[in-house]
Amino acid sequence: MNASAWQMLLEGAWTTVWISGVSIAMGVTAGLMLALIRLARIPVIDQILVLYISLARATPLVTLALFIFLSAPTFGINLDRNVAGILALTLNTTAFNAEIWRSAFRNFSRDQREAAMAAGMTPWVTFRRIMLPQMMITSLPGLINEMSFLIKGSPAIAVIGIVDLTRVTNRISAVTYEPLPPILVACALYMAAIGCLVWLQRIAERRANRLAV
Amino acid sequence: MFEKNTSERVGAEQTVPDAARSEQAAVSIRHLSKSFDGVEVLRDVDLEVREGDVVTILGSSGSGKSTLLRCINWLEQPDRGSIHIGGQRIGVNDAGRPMPVRELARVRARTGMVFQSFNLWPHLNVLHNVTEAPIHVLGKSKTQAEAHARELLEKVGMSPKADAYPSTLSGGQKQRVAIARALAMQPEVMLFDEPTSALDPELVGEVLSVIRDLSAEGYTMVIVTHEMAFSRAVSDKVVFLDKGLIIEQADPETFFTNPSTERVRKFLEREES
Amino acid sequence: MSNWEILWSARDQFWSGFFSTMEIFGLSISAAFLIGCGMLYLLEGSRPRLTVPLRVVIDGMRMLPFLILAYLLYYGLPAFDIRLDAWWSGVGALAVYHGCYFAEIFRGTRLTFPPGQVEAAKAHGFTKGKMFFRLILPQIVMQTRPLLGNQLIYALKDTAFLVIITVQELTAAANSLSGTYFIPTEAFIVVIGFYWAVSVVMEIIIKQCGRFSAKRGFDNV
Repeated sequence: MNASAWQMLLEGAWTTVWISGVSIAMGVTAGLMLALIRLARIPVIDQILVLYISLARATPLVTLALFIFLSAPTFGINLDRNVAGILALTLNTTAFNAEIWRSAFRNFSRDQREAAMAAGMTPWVTFRRIMLPQMMITSLPGLINEMSFLIKGSPAIAVIGIVDLTRVTNRISAVTYEPLPPILVACALYMAAIGCLVWLQRIAERRANRLAV
Repeated sequence: MFEKNTSERVGAEQTVPDAARSEQAAVSIRHLSKSFDGVEVLRDVDLEVREGDVVTILGSSGSGKSTLLRCINWLEQPDRGSIHIGGQRIGVNDAGRPMPVRELARVRARTGMVFQSFNLWPHLNVLHNVTEAPIHVLGKSKTQAEAHARELLEKVGMSPKADAYPSTLSGGQKQRVAIARALAMQPEVMLFDEPTSALDPELVGEVLSVIRDLSAEGYTMVIVTHEMAFSRAVSDKVVFLDKGLIIEQADPETFFTNPSTERVRKFLEREES
Repeated sequence: MSNWEILWSARDQFWSGFFSTMEIFGLSISAAFLIGCGMLYLLEGSRPRLTVPLRVVIDGMRMLPFLILAYLLYYGLPAFDIRLDAWWSGVGALAVYHGCYFAEIFRGTRLTFPPGQVEAAKAHGFTKGKMFFRLILPQIVMQTRPLLGNQLIYALKDTAFLVIITVQELTAAANSLSGTYFIPTEAFIVVIGFYWAVSVVMEIIIKQCGRFSAKRGFDNV
């Protein structure tokens, strides 16, 4: 592989990183909001969210990305491919994150909530000061695990023409006629990124366990 | 009819007119009833706690004493009856509707509660457990809250552990922090829900001695407990609950040496053995 | 003709895409299951020289996106003069990839087994192979069933990646239909409905297995 091949590869890696990063940030936040809405058990809206989560868990990312990218123009919306890719990844990861947040919320200690109420905290202060900081710690391992899944699913956005770390290996081999080296380097980069997340997940688990004592 | 009789046996305070009562009492409970799934846990309970008084509530398990205490700060909502804290009704506003959460929180802040299982917040260190509510409920400044918290931790003998996290403390230490946390809100009345029941026997003493100090300082306290000797030593009034009814209410001397009901006599005999 | 009528007239394409996906899924998941069991057997017991490389392979796979493995088989293997067509590359990649996940799921549960059972079996003169197939494997499979169920759904979703290496499956069918008639919304709604239906059916089957397993007392082990 020559210098320009390396450069292309790094550009592909960067595309994967920033698109995944944006989707993770949006998915974690949106997941929290969905979890809160589901906890309110508003009729109709609750059923819609259950359906959404069930659909999002069953729909392949490739199919979702194509669906969004191809059908948006028929509604008169002109979606940039990057936006469509981020939207697909976010819609997918939000469903999983919502379930992670929801279980953290439901498993939250009733005793601690009572202590907050007895101290005169309103539900909002209790949520913000007592529950959320702990939910973040207990949910973090699950959220990081979901981040690894998102990165493993991110090559799906190649289907709508985004040149990510997987797709770029095609571009490189079209010039060099040697597909194997760029694919192997891409493998190594993926392993490095996901290996980092696995390591972070272990640290997060240790912290979460300490809180549980 | 039966319930009515028992509550009238209560004693002298009964004759004080309602309005006057509410003004002078730290806690005034009237005609309180509560059931869980059709089982009556509290039946037409009346109770007065005067400012500066220490009232201990005794009774066998399942007698409703914890429920009574938890009704005082509205952690449990009674089905009927009223509770006034320092003259202000809790849980129900002037229009007779359920209180908005903010208002309820404000009334709750006039009480402090210590739980059987401590219920410290594990993500905060000892100092911040104590300052959390003063800062975010009373709106105190951080420096002010911390200065007050350090005084209180000193009082309960926990100032060396101010930076420790709850998971590193013993049960007795946790409970002393929990007491400091409740005191930090400068409550008009302290509620203790079996504060030593979850402790190893050798740790009970350190917590009881803190509570005894508080009573000497004139704090108004309502204490649910199983510790007979402690109850006798600190109480101004002992209340005995049986199956949701207050069947005896007396000063500790009378209660422990000359109880008027057979039920209490049996209870005391069993506790002694 | 409305868009839905167009789709109805093209229903054969959906069906062939659906059957193609199910064929790929069924074949690769069966192979993956066998690979997972095989790896568990090899991890079982006294082959430290094999254990380390196996663990490296399993952990390595779990750090890779599925598509890059499919790329490796489809675009990379010809460098060693091994040429698989897109279909076999896809099935092979799915089988190996999910086989490693199965192995990890099995291994995790195997660790929680009380050693007493194995010792009892040894004391009764079971051979290692017999012990594995009669005693360990059935229990592990029944106990890990919720995780296996999740993994099946992941595997089903991963089949859609194969459209990128030109395998003609369900998503490819929707893609080509939406290109031909320009009705992407309807085409993809139908296809997502297919994936969803298969997932729901799998979940129900897993739950039914749970009842059977509870009856046999597998969960109490």
